Amino acid sequence: MSSNDIEMISVTKAYGSHRAVNEVNLAIPAGEFVSILGPSGCGKTTTLNMIAGFAHPSSGDIRIRGKSQNGVPPEKRGIGMVFQNYALFPHMTVEENVAFGLKMKKRPIGEIRDAVKHALRRVHLDGYGERYPKELSGGQQQRAALARAIAPEPSLLLLDEPLSNLDLKLREAMRVELKDIQEQLAMTFVYVTHDQDEAMAMSDRIVVMQNGVVAQCGRPADIYDHPRSSFVADFIGKSNLLPIQEVQRSGKDWVVSVATGLSLRAKTPDDTLADPPQYCCIRPEAVRLTMVESDASTSANRLAGTLTRMVNLGAYFDCFVTLQDGTVLKSLVRSTRLPGLTSNQTVFLSIEREAVQLLPR
Amino acid sequence: MTSTDTLSITPQPTRLPIRFGQFLPLAPPSIMLIFIFAIPMGMMIALSFRGADGALLTLDNYQRFFSDDLMLAGLWRTALMSGLVAICVTVMAYPVAYYLARSTSRWRTVVFALAIAPELAGVVLRTYGWLVILEDHGAINSILIWSGMISEPLPLSKNLLGVVIGLTHVVLPFGILSLLTSIQGIDPNLERAAQILGASRLSIIRRIILPLSVPGIVSSLLIAFTMSASAYATPALLGGAGFKVLATMVYEQVLFYIDWPLAAVMAVLLLILMLTMTLAGTRAEARLQRKLHV
Ligand SMILES: Nc1ncnc2c1ncn2[C@@H]1O[C@H](COP(=O)(O)OP(=O)(O)OP(=O)(O)O)[C@@H](O)[C@H]1O
Ligand SMILES: [Mg+2]
Repeated sequence: MSSNDIEMISVTKAYGSHRAVNEVNLAIPAGEFVSILGPSGCGKTTTLNMIAGFAHPSSGDIRIRGKSQNGVPPEKRGIGMVFQNYALFPHMTVEENVAFGLKMKKRPIGEIRDAVKHALRRVHLDGYGERYPKELSGGQQQRAALARAIAPEPSLLLLDEPLSNLDLKLREAMRVELKDIQEQLAMTFVYVTHDQDEAMAMSDRIVVMQNGVVAQCGRPADIYDHPRSSFVADFIGKSNLLPIQEVQRSGKDWVVSVATGLSLRAKTPDDTLADPPQYCCIRPEAVRLTMVESDASTSANRLAGTLTRMVNLGAYFDCFVTLQDGTVLKSLVRSTRLPGLTSNQTVFLSIEREAVQLLPR
Repeated sequence: MTSTDTLSITPQPTRLPIRFGQFLPLAPPSIMLIFIFAIPMGMMIALSFRGADGALLTLDNYQRFFSDDLMLAGLWRTALMSGLVAICVTVMAYPVAYYLARSTSRWRTVVFALAIAPELAGVVLRTYGWLVILEDHGAINSILIWSGMISEPLPLSKNLLGVVIGLTHVVLPFGILSLLTSIQGIDPNLERAAQILGASRLSIIRRIILPLSVPGIVSSLLIAFTMSASAYATPALLGGAGFKVLATMVYEQVLFYIDWPLAAVMAVLLLILMLTMTLAGTRAEARLQRKLHV
């Protein structure tokens, strides 16, 4: 038996000449929380629907628990699913909704009753069993949908943007609960979202999709620290992305010339370059802003510019600094660190060489 | 008055006095309805209580109707015919409406056009079409006799069977339309949710689609019933002389027997029949919806 719950082997889904999903290869290990993350229209739902069996790959193979799912209808795949609009049966009570899957599997009545109670308790909906879906709030409906999906104890649960209809506070609370449930039940979760915070907060692994292809797949921290393309760097977290004109070797460093004429020193982990880099990416928190010029002895890149705009994020300021050559760099500054900071003053920036990442696309 | 005074005044209740102006747009249609609908209807009901001796309020005419077995049979036949058509229409319209509601194929438009197209031809025309097919010397019987499968023509027209076939065809598009609206309102994700929970096609139809389309089923049944009960041309043409329903009997009373009060009784009974069914249907709808979902 394979330890991967889902394997997608060069799966393509074409609608006419448009490839909604293009040559996707993916292995999802059992028991992991995997997020599929990407902008609208990149093929997330299509991917999920193919795993569920609602859509069929134009080419390629999907295996669930090691078995090819070619020709296996959704009801025989033994997976659970939570829909974006919850899709609760409006003519059934919450209890009947949760019992539905077990009833279809012809479990004994007593067992169904216990499982329903258990599932409702797990999502904190005990006492709501007699209500109809329309008598629940959005968050409660979301929990009921979750209870219905987990009651038959599938080993694999697909979730298509299940939190997108909830307000921010509830969404953040549900993130924690979803993660707890996934860990307690040791289920494999495939979670579709376009919200990168959500993906970062919950996932063991993130699959970033772009125009039907997998742009990058890896642990959240890896993807954040080492994006493989400007698209990923831009989509996950904030970043300063500068198009590169030329890269030259200088001792152990690389000297990067940016289109505007700025030049920066960069250092790659293994001192090599796989592909000719097209962009350099600097995370705003790696751009250290000071009001006085920093010590000249550091090896970091040292720049000066004018603070043109400050956006208050509460605990942080998003500072936009325009350099002499016109380049604008974003820097994240903790509100309490520089009390006298105002816009239109001259500031100094220092960027460690390791923080200047070179991206091939 | 100072500004603080203004602030301390408790707001007046926002309910406005009824202004007659807002009902003005309703006047023309109301007047029209009163003249062409309410007044004639009232006159007809009054007529049904008019005695032969000039009495204004008598049950004589009703007594005449209910003591005549042939007339009672006509009432019963009307109910039976309309009920059968209602069931046939709804059963046949359901799969078509479901297909139209769910299909994304380009044939959808074609099927939709074909389903509605019969309405473009008049009722009389379509009924004659069925007569050509169903009568003793019609297409079906001719082929069967010619092929030697039967020697005597099958009784396909001039009876209940012929009328039900004809009326079903006439009313079918209305059944499809009322079911279509209802089925289209069911979220397709519900079917997917049921499917992923392990439900077979049959369970999905029985437990999800049917219960949720009860309003559509009821309205299809009611539309088909009332349209059939009040239909004149189809029963008259396909039913033949011996097939009497309330609509054809009213016509007969007015034209041949010149018995207006009795015709009025029949019309009132037809009205009561349709109202009863509509009332029963809408009340059953609520109860059925609760029962079906177990
Ligand atoms: N049934 C279909 N017929 C034709 N094109 C389709 C169909 N379903 C999806 N597509 C196309 O495939 C692409 C991917 O769609 P998909 O629904 O997978 O996007 P998504 O990543 O889920 O987006 P969102 O975040 O907006 O839900 C889109 O360009 C869409 O227009
Ligand atoms: Mg989607």
